[in-house]
Amino acid sequence: MYGRKASELVKEFASCEPGQLSTFNNDLFTQVLEECDGHLLHLQPLMRKIQDHENELKDCRRSEDDIGSSEDESRKSEAEKLVIQNALKSNQFGALVHHLSLVRNKRCLMAYIHNRAEVIRNLGWMVERVLPEEIQEKLSSSEEEYFKNHVATLQSYTSEVDLQLNVDMVPPKDPFVKVRVLDDIGQIMLSDQVANLARHAIMFLRRTDAEQYITQGQMEELTS
Amino acid sequence: MDSDAGLGSTADDYESLLSTTDAELWKSAWRNEKAAPEILKYDVDLIQRSRQQIQLMEEMADEFNKNGVDPLTVSLYQMDLDRTMFLMRSYLRTRLQKIEKYVFHIQKTAEQWNRLSRQEQKFAKRYATDLEHHLDQSVLSKLPDQYRSHLRQSAASEEDDMVPEPKLDTYVICKSKKYLGSFQLDDGEEEEVINIEADDLYALPYKSIKPLVESGQIDLV
Repeated sequence: MYGRKASELVKEFASCEPGQLSTFNNDLFTQVLEECDGHLLHLQPLMRKIQDHENELKDCRRSEDDIGSSEDESRKSEAEKLVIQNALKSNQFGALVHHLSLVRNKRCLMAYIHNRAEVIRNLGWMVERVLPEEIQEKLSSSEEEYFKNHVATLQSYTSEVDLQLNVDMVPPKDPFVKVRVLDDIGQIMLSDQVANLARHAIMFLRRTDAEQYITQGQMEELTS
Repeated sequence: MDSDAGLGSTADDYESLLSTTDAELWKSAWRNEKAAPEILKYDVDLIQRSRQQIQLMEEMADEFNKNGVDPLTVSLYQMDLDRTMFLMRSYLRTRLQKIEKYVFHIQKTAEQWNRLSRQEQKFAKRYATDLEHHLDQSVLSKLPDQYRSHLRQSAASEEDDMVPEPKLDTYVICKSKKYLGSFQLDDGEEEEVINIEADDLYALPYKSIKPLVESGQIDLV
């Protein structure tokens, strides 16, 4: 049935948890594209036949107007016209079905890509420049390129506005935060001091410094 | 920010006349931007003034640190600074997210394009190019000729039907500062007239109160 594969693709995206990506389903994607090509192959000859039928109808009508025909002949030409009109209608309906299925497939494909692109953009807010391995293998090559371009665009805006936009995602209650370091990061230059971030160390840092590490999972906030 | 009205910006007298400080302006701009379904006008003056004041605050905080003033005072100033920075960052972030959602529509409508700041316009252009390129590469180049536009479903469509537009008839909760009297809601066939009183909360479709929000008479909550 037309359109079934495309709706499978969309359902697969919808069934993931929001904010998570599944591997880019290249097979299904190419199958839908092939279906579109098939529709086009059907559509083109149909359009040509429609054009032919319309021309025939015009000729019939013109010949009726030019020659004053007798009753018999007019009845025959009416019958001819009816036949052509029926053929025209069935071709038109066929063409419409193919056109609408093609348009639906296009919508499904674009929705799939568009929504995945949205999830990728949200990742760009959390991560600085490089995506973690597990996520990178789920993206297609075009999506990886898009991610790089998007991060570059964001960074150019950030540098123009001169304000770091990915800190302070939550309204600050306290200028300083107590954090426990989960990964070995080593010596880092913070806004007012140089700190040695060793694993399992408990530190008292400025919120704006610590937030980046917290979103990446390298530090944990101690709320007690 | 309430305390440093005396830090000498020329807009001060005007502000005290209206009895709104920068903090109030920021809060209402931030709230409006978060609640409105479409992007609102960019307040250039507010941002410029706030940047100057933030710089002064930072210098003051540094000085206090060096002079060893009571750490409580320093942390209060720091807190004030942080909260203002949060408002500014969140405001810019919300605007960016709205741009990302509706970029093709914003590019088409001149009125909405003029609501962006210069840097946001540059961002929007680059972002639209990125997205178009990505869509082209993955899908559109592989489709037949007449279906390759990213704005229209096919060459036979009469208008750009693949462009998402902000939903202007979502309901928003709003409050007016002054008594605005009877106001006409365009509800299509029914013409309802409502009385808008000061400090009363109303839930109305955004489309009806759009002009009031733009002129600043109504605040969204």
